Amino acid sequence: MSEFLRRNRVFLTSSALLFFSLVLISTSSRSPDRRDPLARFLLDALAPLQGGITLVRGTVGHVWDGYVWLVGVQQENRQLKERIGALEREAVQVAEMQQSHARLEKLLDLSESFAGRSYGARVIARDPLPWARTMTIDRGARDGIEKNMAVVSPQGVIGQISEVSWLAARVLLLTDHNSAIDALVQRTRARGIAQGALEEGCHIKYLRRAEDIALGDRVVTTGLDGIFPKGLMIGEAVEVARYSRDSLHGAVIRPSVELDRIEEVLVLAPGTRLVSEILESEGGE
Amino acid sequence: MRSFGALAVAAAAAVVLQTTLINTFQLGSAAPDLLLVLCVYLGLHQHTVGGAFAAFAVGYLQDSVSGSATGLNAFAMTLVFLLVYLTSSRLWVDNLLSRIAVVFFASVVKTLGVMLLVAIFLSVDGVWSTAARRLLVQALVAAAVAPPMFAVLSSSRRMRSADAN
Repeated sequence: MSEFLRRNRVFLTSSALLFFSLVLISTSSRSPDRRDPLARFLLDALAPLQGGITLVRGTVGHVWDGYVWLVGVQQENRQLKERIGALEREAVQVAEMQQSHARLEKLLDLSESFAGRSYGARVIARDPLPWARTMTIDRGARDGIEKNMAVVSPQGVIGQISEVSWLAARVLLLTDHNSAIDALVQRTRARGIAQGALEEGCHIKYLRRAEDIALGDRVVTTGLDGIFPKGLMIGEAVEVARYSRDSLHGAVIRPSVELDRIEEVLVLAPGTRLVSEILESEGGE
Repeated sequence: MRSFGALAVAAAAAVVLQTTLINTFQLGSAAPDLLLVLCVYLGLHQHTVGGAFAAFAVGYLQDSVSGSATGLNAFAMTLVFLLVYLTSSRLWVDNLLSRIAVVFFASVVKTLGVMLLVAIFLSVDGVWSTAARRLLVQALVAAAVAPPMFAVLSSSRRMRSADAN
């Protein structure tokens, strides 16, 4: 017996570890919100290293792109991208307000879009697995970041905070298969859920068959989930799906944010709203 | 003990590189899986109980820095270790080409293993179409990074042996 155990100890140990892994998966899939302290410790321990390497990579890349390779072009490109982002956000806000309160149009020039606490953060790492879409930012509980806070950029929604450690936090991107955001089609006001997928992009699901969605329609947040302010751009419909068996349909959404390239994000505290939305509600009273 | 210390450093370096630099070199939706190559290396050279624990720890580390359910990669890496261990104790896997082939098949096993667990435990749509699209390119990318990784790990092993002597 002992000889058998001694000869097969590697096999038996590996089998026991495989079984233990299955127990871990089962536990974590039943309560996805729970993360064990060791994983949080590892996230904290690696954050400074990841931040350092990302900084070095960014600096080297900046020197190469900005001074050696294309002097001036990168700066102009960045300015143009910032301008496009500002214009897109402005366009979404204009459409929202025209539909509800045309008299608030004059307030579109507001430079500050959000009323409430917000935190700027830098992306320091991305998910190592191709089918999971998360990223790590360099702000954590120390800076006031909490779970379920909204993460946005000038172009629109990025995702929400899914895990917080002392020095860093993990952002669940809107394209991850675990992500679900309350959304509506801006043109028709049809409500649905913007859900991530294993493949690239995300889908708006659970639209009633009677409600209309067409290619190019913009999908925005409803603000009803208590996480995202109302009227933030999620993306636009690039493919409409009709399901034959039930009374619901949906569409594939191309996110408005280039999630693979985003470097800085804005984290919004709970209760943060767009200034335009606040003015709209005050105007209605 | 020293060899496991070196492995811990290698695993930490691999995971930091994989979450920062390597992500920018994605080929389609596939990125080089440095931790998988490390795990194959363990299966080829650490025929001990410690090797099995190290493979599990490498997978757990990947779970910790990823948004996936805890245990997915721990399971996949332990499975890869076990299969490589069983293969290398029965077949001659000592030249570079055979090792690259092992990494290729290990990547296939890992992807299929993870997708199977995702389908069973997380009930996500489109698992198998995703696996079919990514399987080959993911395995080719993993095999491509295997030679330099093996070279670094082998030279570190030789240096430790020389120090011990």
